[in-house]
Amino acid sequence: MELTHLWGILFISLHAMVPITLAAIGETIEESAGLFNIGLEGILLFGALAGALGAQASGSALVGLLTGMGVGALIGLVFGTISTSLRGSQLISGVGINLLALGFVALMLSVMGAPGFHSVAREVQVPLIPLGVGNLSPLVPITVAVAIGVWWLLRRTQLGIWIRAVGENPAAADVAGIRVNRVRLGAAVAAGVLAGLAGAYLSIDWFGAVTKEITAGRGFIALAIVVFSGLNPLLALLGGFIFGFFDGLATWVATYPGIKDIIPWQFVAMMPYVVTLAVVAGMIGRVRFPSALGVPYLRE
Amino acid sequence: MKTRSDSGPVLDKGDVLLEARGLSKGFPGVWEHLILDQLDFDVRSGEVHTLLGENGAGKTVIANILSGYYEKTEGEIRVKGKLVHFRSPREGLAHGIAMVHQELMLVPAFTVAENIMVGLDAPLFSYGIAGVEKRIQRLVERYGLQVDPKARVEDLSAGQQQRVEILKVLFHEPEVLLLDEPTSLLTPSEADQLFVVLRAMADDGKGIVFISHKMREVFAVSDRVTVLKLGKTQGTCQIAETNEDELTRRTFGETVPDYMERPEVAHEELALNTIEMVPSGLEKKPNSQGISLKIRCGEIMGLAGVSGNGQTELIEAVTGLVPPASGEVWILNADMTGRTPKEFIERGVAHIPERRREIGIVEQMHVAENVVLKDYRKTPFSKNTVLRHQQISSHAEKIVEKFNALVPDLWQTECRILSGGNIQRLILGRETWRKPPVIIASHPTEGLDAKAIRHTWELFLALRAEGSAVLLVSEDLDEIMSLSDRIAVMFEGKIMGIVDGKGADREILGHWMAGGTASAA
Repeated sequence: MELTHLWGILFISLHAMVPITLAAIGETIEESAGLFNIGLEGILLFGALAGALGAQASGSALVGLLTGMGVGALIGLVFGTISTSLRGSQLISGVGINLLALGFVALMLSVMGAPGFHSVAREVQVPLIPLGVGNLSPLVPITVAVAIGVWWLLRRTQLGIWIRAVGENPAAADVAGIRVNRVRLGAAVAAGVLAGLAGAYLSIDWFGAVTKEITAGRGFIALAIVVFSGLNPLLALLGGFIFGFFDGLATWVATYPGIKDIIPWQFVAMMPYVVTLAVVAGMIGRVRFPSALGVPYLRE
Repeated sequence: MKTRSDSGPVLDKGDVLLEARGLSKGFPGVWEHLILDQLDFDVRSGEVHTLLGENGAGKTVIANILSGYYEKTEGEIRVKGKLVHFRSPREGLAHGIAMVHQELMLVPAFTVAENIMVGLDAPLFSYGIAGVEKRIQRLVERYGLQVDPKARVEDLSAGQQQRVEILKVLFHEPEVLLLDEPTSLLTPSEADQLFVVLRAMADDGKGIVFISHKMREVFAVSDRVTVLKLGKTQGTCQIAETNEDELTRRTFGETVPDYMERPEVAHEELALNTIEMVPSGLEKKPNSQGISLKIRCGEIMGLAGVSGNGQTELIEAVTGLVPPASGEVWILNADMTGRTPKEFIERGVAHIPERRREIGIVEQMHVAENVVLKDYRKTPFSKNTVLRHQQISSHAEKIVEKFNALVPDLWQTECRILSGGNIQRLILGRETWRKPPVIIASHPTEGLDAKAIRHTWELFLALRAEGSAVLLVSEDLDEIMSLSDRIAVMFEGKIMGIVDGKGADREILGHWMAGGTASAA
């Protein structure tokens, strides 16, 4: 294999890493605070559509990304409100987000013309950084920075102590004067922002289009990465890269002349999901999660 | 233990730090009495003021209101003469009022220093852990609280965790410290160490409010004591001007007798009979041997022993929860080996378990439902598989009344919100109302106040007189010796010996409990 192929796989892997990792890091913040949002997939999908619409309406990729983040924040706010002050089931509201996104995005795509597909003009996509060996999305270094930043936030700041205390023992945090539900709501919004950014990246950066299958289970893979990482954002970055590699490999195999005829691409396309299953099966029980994860807090 | 009454300055000259007048708290229409009723209370600089009262007297509620965790219904609170109204514990802290809760309010996965940082009012993106650790070290030295700031809380003993709780509030330099039954998780020697710390803090000019229902502790540490009963104060006095008898009378109204006289066992029939039975879980112990325990109808057999010596496994075997590894279990002349728990229940085996909240009740279910948990299939509580609300209500009402359980509502109150003592009252009622032939009772009076303990003992004796056999498993040798016709001692899965209860020699029992083999002759 030639060197350019290796560069090609690396770039595809890095690009595939971005959405999974961003969503996983958001979920890490949220789970640290004790909320379990299974609706990442739905936020990604909403973010993809919102990003595309925002970018086209404004003519600016940056506005597109911000629109994705804003819509993500809004969904995070709804989820956070249901899970905190309304004391609803986190599982059900997460599933609800996923189902709503599926239906809503499919509907919008039909309304906008071609059912199931909406392409984003090249001019409003995120400009890539030309490197000698290929073009890199600016979201790749941003993702790395977010991972490091969130690690610092959770492990090395007063705010991080509060977030984790709320997830571990909300009663103790409450007694200490922390507004438990407010911290959780903030974490839910932060998670929504990152997942929304990941979604917008899918449509106006990586793929340049919106389809109703654009997320392809990446929200659920992100949940698996959170398990793999044990709520450590740096490990989530590593996990994101591993999954991204298989994702990228699948894309590369499916498109590269010569190879796509030897290995059926469907087989390689299975790989990220198989790896997900294997990793989750192997990690469950070994990783320690916050004691109060998924439990609404109610002062008695 | 040195008490303030025989040394040091005169205390009632101390400044009043915190003062409550006419404090009331109630959920109208739910409870038959107010949780707090027109209460007056104050604490002064340099004193340990004890709040004494039985379970449900309202001690914890006072502390929670004074610290800002609960809202009061009526009354006024003054800090150094200034009227205050706290809406949160943080506001209380800002006024120098701090509370150490009965349950540990710690994050087990955090270190000591991180736990203290949870309560800091620091900027969001700061991280002052080094400074916090240094300051903990200074507090540790000042008050003699031995704790390593870098240790992870889940690795600490209960006594050390309690000290972390105290450090947590000391960090805010409070003037008044409210401690809600801080000794409930401590060994007696850890409790004594805590009293030294409390005294050091009082000598430092702080006002300490110490909540307890244990007489020994009251005299070990207090300067003044306020007795509380059903939400009302029974008066405040200097500890030097009272004595144990008087306080006991004021707190409980009655005292606990030492020994319960009773007639000889009248029956010969065996109620519970285990034949060379090895409970599951004990068969792998070195030199495990079969347990042959014979309890006659109308007999109370005490099973003494340090917990963890196979009592749990034995109970599981004789209640049918886990079939024994080998041997037989007979109940009233029927071989029950390998039968289901339901068949044991129907045969007349009542079980008062040690882990009440986990296996004694269903916490999320309501009081009435829990009361008929073992009888709901039978008439009159159900007919053709449909529950009969009326019958269940009147039955539950009777049980609640007879056992003095404090229960807001039969069908509205989930059992999880009840106190441990009230849950135990419901379990005792549920398990004994049918006068079952066999009662397996594990630590039946743990967490009950003196009056309820006495009622429970009398209940067991009354059931005994009606022909019930009782297997009483307890770590409390006093209880075993007061109540048992015969006493068996268990050590490492074996019965070390059995003696008559009347005139039993505490020393021999203690010897067996430690694994010795001296004969009782």
